[in-house]
Amino acid sequence: MELPENPNKDNNGYESAEKLILRWDSTASEEAREKMIFETDRHEADLYLQAVDEIQRSLSNASISNNTNAAAAAAVDDQSKVNSTIQIAMARLEDEFRNILMTHSSALETDSLFDPSSSSFSAPSHHELEEDDSVSNEDSSHNDLLRLPLQHCESSDSSTYRSTSSIREVDLMPAEAVCDLQAIAMRMISSGYLRECIQVYGSVRKSAIDSSFRKLGIEKLSIGDVQRLEWEALESKIRRWIRAAKVCIRILFASEKKLCEQIFECVGTDIDDACFMETVKGPAIQLFNFAEAISISRRSPEKLFKILDLHDALMDLLPDIEAVFDSKSSDSIRVQAAEILSRLAEAARGILSEFEGAILREPSRVPVPGGTIHPLTRYVMNYISLISDYKQTLIELIMSRPSTGSRYSGDQSTPDMDFAELEGKTPLALHLIWIIVVLQFNLEGKSKHYRDASLAHLFIMNNVHYIVQKVKGSPELREMIGDDYLRKLTGKFRQAATSYQRATWVSVLYCLRDEGLHVSGSFSSGVSKSALRERFKTFNAMLEEVHRTQATWLIPDTQLREELRISISEKLIPAYRSFLGRFRSHIESGKHPENYIKYSVEDLETAVLDFFEGFPVSHQHMRRSQ
Amino acid sequence: MNANEYQGSFLGRISIRRNQVVVMDAIHEQELEDIELFQKHVSDRFSELSSPSDDDAILSISWLRKLLDVFLCCEAEFEAILLMDRDPYQLSKPPFDRLIPELLDRAVKALDICNAVTNGVESVRHCQKLAEIAISALDQKPIGDGEVKRAKRALITLMAAINLDDKDGTNAKSTERSWSFGRRSGNKDRVAGQFRSLSWQVAKNWSAAKQIQSTIYNLVAPRGAEASGLPSPIYTMNVIMIFVMWALVAAIPCQERTGLPTHFPVPKQLNWAHSLIGLQEKIADEWKKKEKKGMAGLLDEMQRMEKSAQSLIDFTDSFQFPGDAEKLQEAAGHVAELTEICRIMEQGLTPLQMHIREVFHRIVRSRTEFLDVLEKGSLPVI
Repeated sequence: MELPENPNKDNNGYESAEKLILRWDSTASEEAREKMIFETDRHEADLYLQAVDEIQRSLSNASISNNTNAAAAAAVDDQSKVNSTIQIAMARLEDEFRNILMTHSSALETDSLFDPSSSSFSAPSHHELEEDDSVSNEDSSHNDLLRLPLQHCESSDSSTYRSTSSIREVDLMPAEAVCDLQAIAMRMISSGYLRECIQVYGSVRKSAIDSSFRKLGIEKLSIGDVQRLEWEALESKIRRWIRAAKVCIRILFASEKKLCEQIFECVGTDIDDACFMETVKGPAIQLFNFAEAISISRRSPEKLFKILDLHDALMDLLPDIEAVFDSKSSDSIRVQAAEILSRLAEAARGILSEFEGAILREPSRVPVPGGTIHPLTRYVMNYISLISDYKQTLIELIMSRPSTGSRYSGDQSTPDMDFAELEGKTPLALHLIWIIVVLQFNLEGKSKHYRDASLAHLFIMNNVHYIVQKVKGSPELREMIGDDYLRKLTGKFRQAATSYQRATWVSVLYCLRDEGLHVSGSFSSGVSKSALRERFKTFNAMLEEVHRTQATWLIPDTQLREELRISISEKLIPAYRSFLGRFRSHIESGKHPENYIKYSVEDLETAVLDFFEGFPVSHQHMRRSQ
Repeated sequence: MNANEYQGSFLGRISIRRNQVVVMDAIHEQELEDIELFQKHVSDRFSELSSPSDDDAILSISWLRKLLDVFLCCEAEFEAILLMDRDPYQLSKPPFDRLIPELLDRAVKALDICNAVTNGVESVRHCQKLAEIAISALDQKPIGDGEVKRAKRALITLMAAINLDDKDGTNAKSTERSWSFGRRSGNKDRVAGQFRSLSWQVAKNWSAAKQIQSTIYNLVAPRGAEASGLPSPIYTMNVIMIFVMWALVAAIPCQERTGLPTHFPVPKQLNWAHSLIGLQEKIADEWKKKEKKGMAGLLDEMQRMEKSAQSLIDFTDSFQFPGDAEKLQEAAGHVAELTEICRIMEQGLTPLQMHIREVFHRIVRSRTEFLDVLEKGSLPVI
């Protein structure tokens, strides 16, 4: 509408506008308080807005005309009246604005946001673990280190990825409401009532976000709460948080931003930025507080993988965070996100390093019965298999070599690693190798608690073999550990097998030696029958003892068990056979040969089959065939 | 005393005793000196805080920042004494096996308070914004009915915000909001507390007062032999940390401060504690005075804002266009005061939040260091 020429007409327009505005003055009339203009009638709303425009126009016109003092004084009077009317209008518009916002400020519909076909709500699987993980916890001091099953939930998280893989703005309120808000905002701002507008907007939208948060299950946990909770409980909270954070940043906050942009479209970006920040700053900080609390929790090995999950999720969200919070006033939010990310990385590093220390110091002294695989070995190897699954992230995070040996270990001898041989390996790979080195060092210490040296060797053999099998079983792990080191390990367990054999069988086979049996004297060159009888007796006793004892020892790996038995047989059987062959006649020609030649070759062959089964033999003695 | 100085004097001592390299003695003496120096610094710094200049009245924004700086300095010295060249096994033995975990527990509580206070600064900012509306209304010349009504609306909201009950955000004094509408037919939701602009970021049952109370719990000054060893600076640091957190909570609104403890069980004989205790008592007195009226905290700028706002409300109540010249002038004075306060807030609130954040980071780092040392020192079963 152009400047009207007819002053009367102008006056009428102004007067009727003023009347309308005064009619809706809620401080003046009950009726005005009862109804909301913008809910009543589109027509009413339009009329009201036109009235406001009319008043605003007259305000800018008033400054034109009138140069005389009297006119000026009157103008001041008029101006004051106009300002008063404007204030009434603005107060009304503020309330209308608030009302429209509140009517459309329910929580975000979150159900449609998750892809129902994805497994985003399924429980994480536990079957990443070994089937034969039946751990015999003889020594309860294992428990701290070996406490929890290690879960790998990557699969369930990646499916929610699909549903919120990028920023997706939704309409938070119907277009009509947005139009109305826009119209009101324009008038308020052009009358200088920007501040009120921002205040109202921020307070109502913040409440809406609060209810969305509640729906998404975002809790208000203090740092103290997070420190006190059991890690298992925290794991599910972390999972939930990751899902919720994706929705918050990519959908909720992005949509709020779009809403601000729409409502304050005509009035410049600073204003919609201000409104957006007013709305979203508090909730964003509240969201991040949880992740921050996790990032500063006490470090312990079982936390590694969830922390990596959290790290990865946040890393993934970072570009979206930067896109949504792109103004100067949101610096603190971006900074906090980056800080949390860096703390999570630090936590991961710290946990790894503490894990290495914990393995070194793992103190259980009670030897595992039967020399079988120690629970520590299982735990560590499972753990580093999982680590190799997280290889992608960890390779980025782990940047320094393992610190070999601690100043405070108290031990004189600490494990060592020759880095020269390991040129070209990533720091992560070095850490994994170091972990195996440290594990072996600890196992060596444990093996010394066996009173029987043979058992100690068997123990080492079993455990190192298990390590080798686990490495071979995981391509990522194998690739990082490298075949060179794998060869070393293989050599180690073979060495242990040899040491075992020597420790047990040298003395047994010693009974079957030739020397010392032949007597050359003046009257006869022959065999000393007494010596021979002694030999047989000793051999039998030793064999029985070894059989009785070593049947209860265990080599869990079938192939290894077979191999060792075969190796024993290959030495024992021919030696016995030849001994029998050469000397049985001498015994049989004497009294009670059955006391000395108790066993046939077949008996021995059968007996060897009992070895390393882990069961005590049912008979006291070895069977003997009649 | 920084690491280099420490090394220097330590080696100096060794070289003096040529015949008896009584290393332990030297270390112990050095340690005692360091502790003494530390406590002297504490005393000096708090003494400075007790005699503020005009620009930083106690519990003003700039004074709070000075307090935070004092904390950071003391903390740095403390960490050096406790952790530098320290054999971790020592810190795992009594009494440290109790003292250190207690310290770390208080540290975690302090972190939550930092977060709550940082959040609370937002409500101060909210008041600032409301005051700015009033200022922009009353800055007009000449002031008419419109401006006055506008200012009054904003001022009433401001006073409601200032007198907010910490607990659930309802206005303790009146349920009248500045809206023109109390209720609408059938829509009972829009009651005063429901759509307050600030909801605390903490859990419903979290209480700043209880949090502070629990940090004071079990705070016992070391006695006898312990008083001259490491337990002493540990106690000092505990007290400093508690005091800083307490002062922040007293100044800045945060959830549930009713029942904020006003007494610290710190023995008066402790030399280093005099200024700190003096400050604490002063602030506690103010708190007790104001607590009954219900207020948004002892922050100096908020106190001043409340006074000016109240005066201006009185002015708006009695205003009639064109207004009494004397009253107008008086009002202008209050507006100027309010403007100054808003300026200080505009410039100071964000830096204050960042400063608190810095303290937060420092406490986290320090705690991590201590946890690290504890981990290393955990005695293996041989």
